Amino acid sequence: MKTTAVFSAFVSLLSFASAAGASSKKSSASSDSSSTSTTLPATFKPPQVFKNANLVHVISLEKNYVKENINVLVENIDKAPQDEYFVPFTADQMSRLGGVEVKDRKDASAGPFVAEPVEFDQESDIQYLRIRLPKPLAPGAQQTLGISYYLLKAYKPLPASIKQEEQQYLTFSFSAYCSSAYTTTKQKTEVKFPSGNIPDYTKLPGSGDVSEFPQKQGSKLIYGPFDEKPAGAAQPVSVRFEFTKPVTHVSRLERDIEVSHWGGNVAFEERYTLYHRGANLSSLFNRVKWQQAQYYHPTTFALKELKFPLRVGSVDAYYTDVIGNVSTSHFRTNKREALLEIKPRYPVFGGWKFPFTIGWNSDAKNFLRKTATGGFVLNVPFLEGPRQPEGVEYEQVQLRVILPEGAENVRYHTSIPPSSITEAGIEIHKTFLDTLGRTALVIRARNLVDDFRDRDLVVAYDYPLLASLRKPLVVFASAVAVFVVAWIVGNVELKFDSPKK
Amino acid sequence: MSADLLQVLASAGKGKGTRSLLRVIILALIAGAAVSSRLFSVIRFESIIHEFDPWFNFRATKYLVANGFYKFWDWFDDRTWHPLGRVTGGTLYPGLMVTSGVIYHALRALTIPVDIRNICVLLAPGFSGLTAIAAYLLTNEMTPSSSAGLLAALFVGIAPGYISRSVAGSYDNEAIAIFLLVFTFYLWIKALKQGSMLWGALCALFYGYMVASWGGYAFITCLLPLHAFVLICMGRYSTRLYVAYTTWYALGTLASMQIPFVGFLPVKTSEHMPALGIFGFLQLLAFLDYVRSAIPSRQFQTFLWLFAGATFGLGLLGLVIATSAGFIAPWSGRFYSLWDTGYAKIHIPIIASVSEHQPTAWPAFFFDLNMLIWLFPVGVYLCFQELADEHVFIVVYALFGSYFAGVMVRLMLTLTPVVCVAAAIAVSTLLDAYLNAKSPNPEEVQALESSEGKRAVKSGLRSTSKPVVGVYGLWGKGMVVGAMVVYLLVFVLHCTWVTSNAYSSPSVVLASRLPDGSQHIIDDYREAYQWLRQNTREDAKIMSWWDYGYQIGGMADRPTLVDNNTWNNTHIATVGKAMSSREEVSYPIMRQHEVDYVLVVFGGLLGYSGDDINKFLWMVRIAEGIWPDEVSERAFFTPRGEYRVDAEATETMKNSLMYKMSYYNYNNLFPPGQAVDRMRGARLPEVGPTLNTLEEAFTSENWIIRIYKVKDLDNLGRDHASAAAFDRGHKKKKATKKRGPRLLRVE
Repeated sequence: MKTTAVFSAFVSLLSFASAAGASSKKSSASSDSSSTSTTLPATFKPPQVFKNANLVHVISLEKNYVKENINVLVENIDKAPQDEYFVPFTADQMSRLGGVEVKDRKDASAGPFVAEPVEFDQESDIQYLRIRLPKPLAPGAQQTLGISYYLLKAYKPLPASIKQEEQQYLTFSFSAYCSSAYTTTKQKTEVKFPSGNIPDYTKLPGSGDVSEFPQKQGSKLIYGPFDEKPAGAAQPVSVRFEFTKPVTHVSRLERDIEVSHWGGNVAFEERYTLYHRGANLSSLFNRVKWQQAQYYHPTTFALKELKFPLRVGSVDAYYTDVIGNVSTSHFRTNKREALLEIKPRYPVFGGWKFPFTIGWNSDAKNFLRKTATGGFVLNVPFLEGPRQPEGVEYEQVQLRVILPEGAENVRYHTSIPPSSITEAGIEIHKTFLDTLGRTALVIRARNLVDDFRDRDLVVAYDYPLLASLRKPLVVFASAVAVFVVAWIVGNVELKFDSPKK
Repeated sequence: MSADLLQVLASAGKGKGTRSLLRVIILALIAGAAVSSRLFSVIRFESIIHEFDPWFNFRATKYLVANGFYKFWDWFDDRTWHPLGRVTGGTLYPGLMVTSGVIYHALRALTIPVDIRNICVLLAPGFSGLTAIAAYLLTNEMTPSSSAGLLAALFVGIAPGYISRSVAGSYDNEAIAIFLLVFTFYLWIKALKQGSMLWGALCALFYGYMVASWGGYAFITCLLPLHAFVLICMGRYSTRLYVAYTTWYALGTLASMQIPFVGFLPVKTSEHMPALGIFGFLQLLAFLDYVRSAIPSRQFQTFLWLFAGATFGLGLLGLVIATSAGFIAPWSGRFYSLWDTGYAKIHIPIIASVSEHQPTAWPAFFFDLNMLIWLFPVGVYLCFQELADEHVFIVVYALFGSYFAGVMVRLMLTLTPVVCVAAAIAVSTLLDAYLNAKSPNPEEVQALESSEGKRAVKSGLRSTSKPVVGVYGLWGKGMVVGAMVVYLLVFVLHCTWVTSNAYSSPSVVLASRLPDGSQHIIDDYREAYQWLRQNTREDAKIMSWWDYGYQIGGMADRPTLVDNNTWNNTHIATVGKAMSSREEVSYPIMRQHEVDYVLVVFGGLLGYSGDDINKFLWMVRIAEGIWPDEVSERAFFTPRGEYRVDAEATETMKNSLMYKMSYYNYNNLFPPGQAVDRMRGARLPEVGPTLNTLEEAFTSENWIIRIYKVKDLDNLGRDHASAAAFDRGHKKKKATKKRGPRLLRVE
């Protein structure tokens, strides 16, 4: 339970987020990330001012997205202090890259560093991510950076289509040498797999006392350690591994959070466009085999169920799709949990699609606080997708926080990596009995994964008393107007004047 | 003592203001009851469109809301009747869709953005509330007692005969048409009573709305002239009738001709001729009326006979000539089937194949109307007693409606309003008599009767003398009133029970009970439709029997070959032929129609009766109607005349595409030799059918929907049978070379 003290702390945090009034329709309430990305000349090359003294690259293929961790000891080899470290990516990777977080491995209190894509040549195949060190690194000094990010849509199934009861294998290609803009003295690449079943992987000639790379340790492959490699060195390798779970991909998630002060309610609705990016079926769906497989070997690469652990206190969950309610769901709520388990209408195999909508309500007091200054603070999770053992990736996320009509001075803060947020602004949303329309904070983000579940979004806004009285007054006035008009019309004599007898 | 109590109670409703307030409140409550009794399915399932036709109406409404009225008017739908398409805008009754569209936009304007689906689902209950009010108005025109009106409103509100077509989600034309029907009748009576052009014009306006809404408008088109004709025959011609009828006919016909689907039918088809004939007849009568006032009566007699005879002869001659020359279309098949119930079965199987076009079974009357059915004759009798113009209407309507309701199940709907009105008159007369707490004083009555009796003898007519009839014993009153109250309560119980059990199933979703008593929903239809919608090409053509055409269009959003519009019998027969022929015959048909998927409904696993094997004979019959040489119904019956699906089934049956698609792969679900069709209680042959030209694409959880993909042509140019046999690992049978007769070598 968050106390009011925490809330006021958040409010103070909010002060740096730019503010926008409800009245300005398209004004940006954008966070600082998108506004500061600079444009560099097309011929840009990162200055060779750093050296990677030691680098460990951990690629985790355990989920249906790739999580990469680069732990690197950087050393300033220039004469002046430096504060910009560049990480190269291909343009294709860049479009699928998300959730970049950079930390100092030695000093946890330094907080996340600012990391943003550098805009320079759209045509170029090499794009850079710029990391700003909070304190410029003195010449000769060293610092340990922990760079973590996620790659979406990373796998290709091989074979591309398999039978319903067969096992699914995925391939992933990467470089055995971590791509870097600087010379790397020593490095190692570690690949983690969901299981030890890795039938194919590229073998490299070894060095030192190792005869051949990679070394296999259980469900892990280790390439390296390698000796010094120049900047931009690459050694493409690919791995093929067993993945017994569905490759769930949400191409678009629209999440609406509607706050009602009169109802004392916060309503959530999420619309998913869900795909299975795994292996397709080589022969079409066979119900007999499916029913038998359910009985004998329940592991399948088809998506059968999604579990949404919601916040405690969530009620009235619903699960629909474009043609109505989907009856195959189960909502379990008690004091300790609120678990929504849904099943797609049909098992979702590779290449299939299943869009659906879920929603639920919750008491406003779980999320909303009034501050001492008379404003309101709303603290909701940024993302509340399903929690699956195989993970879920989100390509596009649109989050709308619909505040009451007349809410103004909207500010927000979120712990989602700022580089994932593409756009944020205030819009007007018109719905039941609105005259002006409700203030809606719209945040668009991309390439998120379910690791960012339950990251907070804090929205502060002012809601004057008069604005809250607007709706009842308008309804009352309209009703009175209708009665008056009816009375006037009723008094109009429509008949011809009959001669008095 | 109880009399005092009643008096006190009655005095509360004495004042005129209080009474009308009470009446308004009661009427509002009745309308509320009418609406809420139709919400079973929404509460039990969800806000969902029911059955088949409503899905088309819903789809059309969405199109209207999305594209505006003019686009809707010009809508050519290329996603149905592939490859023909359908000129949808010109072949539908737009009233229903436009009504919901108007409600939708009005609510938007009031900043209440209700989803169009919810408007469509709740339109029928909403209009049933209005029907109750219209019935109140109509009944009030019949009798001075307003309690009759309230009773009629209540009866119409909850009578199952009407509920059957107006539960929430049953978004069909009848949803608004019954209100329009009753209200048009009310306006007609009003116009007739007052001889008012205003009411006549209003009547025409609502008649136009009715024409725009439902094909059943012909009922009004025939009933009003019939009423007028009966009035004339009874010698009740009056200027009131003239004004009301001519206003209605002229304006109403013009209004009806504005609907593209109706167009010039009102002057061309036989169904509309009575109205035109009576219109002409009334002009003649008016002319004669004028002539009579102008010339002496003796000459008038001769003039009349000559004139009438000549006109009648000319008119008849003209009609015969026009019909034979083709200016006036003869009666259409659907109308023939109204005269001869066996007609459709022989000549147009497609009409007969629809269950709602079957003749009504007797129990259906009691099921749909309960006690109203025995109160109905009493009400009609009471109308005979008064027999003003409006009572003649009820009598005519009752006769007409009863006949049609007996011929077609679906027309029970048009009978229900008059049954409710008549029954309400009966009940209220009864209650008025028995609820009167004041007993007449026997002596006074005697004195009165004796004095009146003398006069009555003089006049000679019994009916003119009105003896004071009174009920003397409170006990007797109590008995009758109590019995009536019990009947009314039982009626309410019956209506609720029927609505809840018989008419509130969406049929898209089936409900069953789990062993622990909780509800389990069988949602196979939507499972399969959603699969089609999400995982097939946008323009993949689906072939299915026509029943599912609208649902596929509405839920799966895929083009279909045939649908419930059934405008092209040949096209339906083509599908029927494809379903009932061997694969080798069906495959070219499917290729020619670019069919990608074939959908069949199979109830064998679950015991679901509405499946395609049960409808199969209709497909065969319809196909046979077009291709009698290629499809024969007899070949689907065993020599002993049984329709079987097990090992005993005929070869034609076993080789038909429908049979193969239904049972393909089904026996793998059971231990060898134990496959059972639970619907037909048949044990299936051990070896299931093989499919060469189709492959199974999807089967829903309970096997209700099975979807097959039509295979493409073989890459190696083989025919499918040998290609499939090769895949199964069979060796190609060596074609035994037919050697010619040995020739002796002569050299």
